[in-house]
Amino acid sequence: MADGYTGNVLRVDLTNEKISTEPIKREWTKLHIGGKGLGARYLFDELKPGVDPLSPENVLMIWTGPLVGTMVPLTSRYVVVTKSPLTGTFLDSYAGGYFGPELKYAGFDGVIIKGKAKKPVYLWIEDGKAEIRDAKDIWGKDNYKTEELIRKETGEKYARVATTGPAGEKLSLIAGVTSDLTRNAGRGGGGAVFGSKNLKAVAVRGTLGVEVPDIDKFIPMAKEMLLKDVVENPDHAGSITDGTPIIVDMSQNAAILPTRDWTSGEFEDSAGLNSDALKTRVLVRRKACMDCGIACGSWSKVSKGKFKGAATEGPEYETIGICGSNCGIKNIEAVVRFAEDCDRLGLDTMSAGAAVAFAMHLYEKGILTKKDTGGLDLKFGDEDAYAKMPAMIANRKHIGDILADGTKRAAKRIGKGSEKLTLESKGSEYPAYDPRGSIGMAIAYATSDRGADHNRAWPVASDAYGSGDPWSTEGKAATCVEDQTRTSVKWSFIFCDFYAVNFGNMAKYYTAVTGVKADEQYLRSIGRRNWNLVRAFNVREGFSRKDDNLPERMEKEPLPSGKTKGKVVPRADFEKMLSEYYKLWGWDDNGRPTKKSLEEAGLGDIVKKLPYLK
Amino acid sequence: MSKGLKVEKEKCIGCQICMLVCSGSHVGKFNPSESRINVEDVYPEPAEYRFNYCIQCDEHPCVEACPVEAIKLDEGLGIYVVDKTLCTACGACVEACPYNGCWLDPTGSYSIKCDLCGGSPQCIEACPRNVIKR
Repeated sequence: MADGYTGNVLRVDLTNEKISTEPIKREWTKLHIGGKGLGARYLFDELKPGVDPLSPENVLMIWTGPLVGTMVPLTSRYVVVTKSPLTGTFLDSYAGGYFGPELKYAGFDGVIIKGKAKKPVYLWIEDGKAEIRDAKDIWGKDNYKTEELIRKETGEKYARVATTGPAGEKLSLIAGVTSDLTRNAGRGGGGAVFGSKNLKAVAVRGTLGVEVPDIDKFIPMAKEMLLKDVVENPDHAGSITDGTPIIVDMSQNAAILPTRDWTSGEFEDSAGLNSDALKTRVLVRRKACMDCGIACGSWSKVSKGKFKGAATEGPEYETIGICGSNCGIKNIEAVVRFAEDCDRLGLDTMSAGAAVAFAMHLYEKGILTKKDTGGLDLKFGDEDAYAKMPAMIANRKHIGDILADGTKRAAKRIGKGSEKLTLESKGSEYPAYDPRGSIGMAIAYATSDRGADHNRAWPVASDAYGSGDPWSTEGKAATCVEDQTRTSVKWSFIFCDFYAVNFGNMAKYYTAVTGVKADEQYLRSIGRRNWNLVRAFNVREGFSRKDDNLPERMEKEPLPSGKTKGKVVPRADFEKMLSEYYKLWGWDDNGRPTKKSLEEAGLGDIVKKLPYLK
Repeated sequence: MSKGLKVEKEKCIGCQICMLVCSGSHVGKFNPSESRINVEDVYPEPAEYRFNYCIQCDEHPCVEACPVEAIKLDEGLGIYVVDKTLCTACGACVEACPYNGCWLDPTGSYSIKCDLCGGSPQCIEACPRNVIKR
């Protein structure tokens, strides 16, 4: 059937070394599309509630979507879906590059992996077939080396490889999955789930192609959309000229740039980290993922000084904010060094940077000392100490062993008041937008399905960066609901974050590729369905309002300067927005989907699987 | 003067849209390995994109190497193209080409190389950075 889907799902049982292929569940692709929604549906169905995420019982999946591998612009993505070991929630973590399309070309829409291999292995997928291969020679190697060795061993110079690095092998809960060297499904600890299964990598080569119903009509449409809706779309201008680093100045101006572990929203040396610094000091060339006309990525390389030779794709805004200003680091070159190490070792830069900033804060307070840091003078802004931290975390040396499990668990082990200093929700570290200058972000972080995150709702766009009032609670819950509805569709196709694609055009692509008649209302109903499903999954795992939290510092520690001087997130405002948010979704005041909200979302059949609704 | 595509590879962003549109218009599905133009992303070093495609050189050693005369002059375009009904997939042209300009399709059935889409190359139209010209 020429409808974008390959129609096949690869199922792998690592414990019993069994591999099989099965048809994708068509009744579910109609309800959930692919990516996030489809992954959530399979996970809800196949994962027993309460399973330890690092046990063989956890299910690890990789999904694509119907548009992936076609000429629909900015859809070259895949998603790692599993139960997160960092947060205990549903996890969907995405990466661009070339891996997602390659999986489709190899004949699979998704891969479902269960069990645990007896010894280190990797999965090799090629044109409709797959095998489990010995990984003894690559276990312990960094992500760059792993890709190189797998290409050599398979003899496929165009193989695409998704790996876990040394951090994931050592079960760091902030370890991501890395593909195409620098593209990361970073958040939530997917790399640790790989590690827990003794799975070093999933490598793929495909030459079967992807089909759409009427390619002669489709190609001219795709070409026109690429030009008109991508290259010439004014919403993409900043992404084309600068990429995400353009946000550094926007955050600095709004005084919401995380600085020295969130003790300030302004960084006096932000000019050493902003887009101009990146472009004039380290940028080598612009770099796109497959099928993208924006090319927001920057291939950056340090050409002189103590970090000479360090190179990475990026650093992106989140990395610059969290690993740069938030660590008091004032030179982009140091951030490039840090980011390359995170890519090689398989660490999520956001959680790793947050962990380092947190450790620096504790060191300055005297809660940590040189005894903990292996002798490093781990002050804010100390580039030498900072540059050693990714390896210390990934190898679980000294304080790195504690930081490797994220700040929430680290604080529990360290104690001494450090528990009150963490900035996280459900264990996932805050992204680089301070809610004290964009109050809607407090709700966005608290209600994000995979723990604190900026890729589910982004109200900062219309308040701190727009014309809205950053401290007014009005309309913020509604913005989160709207954004979450849209992203629950977008991440199911799977579109890139940076394509400002509207519902109408998503529907147009969907119909052209799958033949399914769709319009904005149709897609909105899928978005609501997918978000309700994921929330139901999390509630089944024990999450509720109590976990949709506001860290104490946001409420009690005013920011010191600039536009956010004296600002906090008042607890009453937070609770008011949260209640409003639940109401807008039709959930109960404890944040749980009701029978009615699930039935309205077309999820009546999962009601009986939710004990709290009995 | 060669009649083939010209590429300003320093402007390339590695999106491979040329490969998508090429395979789509030649074989009716999106399959980069069936594209007549190939862009390799070479990272971390030297951080560049390498292009492989037929430059329609004047010497055309592929034509001389072909034992069954499957590579024929298209008189309208003035370039040599593969007649896949004659091609035996022996690989002699692949061996003979000094530019990595042709290769066998993934099933090994016949040799593929750029035919300029009969005169209006799809990759030129689709490239979002105007990297490819004639």
